[in-house]
Amino acid sequence: MSKPGVKVRFYRIKNRLKEKAAGLGMDANAEIEFDEDLLSEAEEALNEMAEDYPDWVMSVIDELFEVHRRCVDDEVSRKGYFERINSIAHDMKGQGGTFGYQLITDFAEGLYNFTSSGAGLSDNHVEIIKAHIDAMRVVIRERIEGDGGDIGGELKKGLEQSVLKYNTRK
Amino acid sequence: MSGIDLSRISVLVVEDSPFIRSLLVNSIRILGVQSVKSVDDGAEAIDFIKLVEENPMKAGMMSVDIIICDWEMSPVNGLMLLRWIRRHKDSRDRFKPFVMLTGYSEPKRVQEARDMGATEFMSKPFSVNALADKIKQVIFKPRQFIHTNSYFGPDRRRQEIPISGEDRRKFTYDSPEVEIVNV
Repeated sequence: MSKPGVKVRFYRIKNRLKEKAAGLGMDANAEIEFDEDLLSEAEEALNEMAEDYPDWVMSVIDELFEVHRRCVDDEVSRKGYFERINSIAHDMKGQGGTFGYQLITDFAEGLYNFTSSGAGLSDNHVEIIKAHIDAMRVVIRERIEGDGGDIGGELKKGLEQSVLKYNTRK
Repeated sequence: MSGIDLSRISVLVVEDSPFIRSLLVNSIRILGVQSVKSVDDGAEAIDFIKLVEENPMKAGMMSVDIIICDWEMSPVNGLMLLRWIRRHKDSRDRFKPFVMLTGYSEPKRVQEARDMGATEFMSKPFSVNALADKIKQVIFKPRQFIHTNSYFGPDRRRQEIPISGEDRRKFTYDSPEVEIVNV
């Protein structure tokens, strides 16, 4: 039974995972590291898998485009569609950079922020969503990796101008 | 220096994106984990954890040693799953290591996961090195758990930093209000 008046309990847990990963006879002070070759192999495998990323993300962009189309057609249900776009954008922003497509992460982050709670639901907002989708489509179609250099800069600038144009439009 | 052998460690991956899920599972396998199971969301994870506890043969996994879980999922997201692991009466191992994987990198979000009892936090996009580092931290640098009236989870203080001014902590390990439990 615990002591009366106890306000804080510290649980010190026997480290069974360490026994599993290094054995019972392991020197407590031994330096434990992943094998460098193993890490390189895993990194290489990640890069190979990344080669399929453009095809996969294009299907996600198509889904975004479809949800956007519904926003245009069905103003009443727009809030739910915006939430769906926000959720897809959230996933995308966490992935692009992993596979070398930093611009997808950047544009998805912009789209995620733009459609977060409190975002407006006007036709101009729908147009700005479309501008983000178009920019992401170009990135994948043209296989623009990294920050995209000059082309990436142009794409970003173009998107910023679109946002500005529709944001200031009455 | 010794190598890490993960062949006896089992990992549950909870991630709704098929692409990221396959990426995680493959990377974890290459790091040496032989027993990896993946599910789509927190609800499926709870069902699987219960199955492992009740019928490990049927589950195809003898235990779930580490959970690596995405935050944003539906219907049961990562934070809800973490709350279930740490606080629900049906959760049989409330100390289970839990790595929260997420695109949310805002400090407020990190704090929210930490205050719910996340063991580690891994941002997306992730690298193999980050994944390996989190697994290593979970296995070789576990923290004691703390239970107060407002928190249950791993010690949020990762290191002892000397206090320059007055020490305003109310209790020490020797205080009568403090109990140390070896589990």
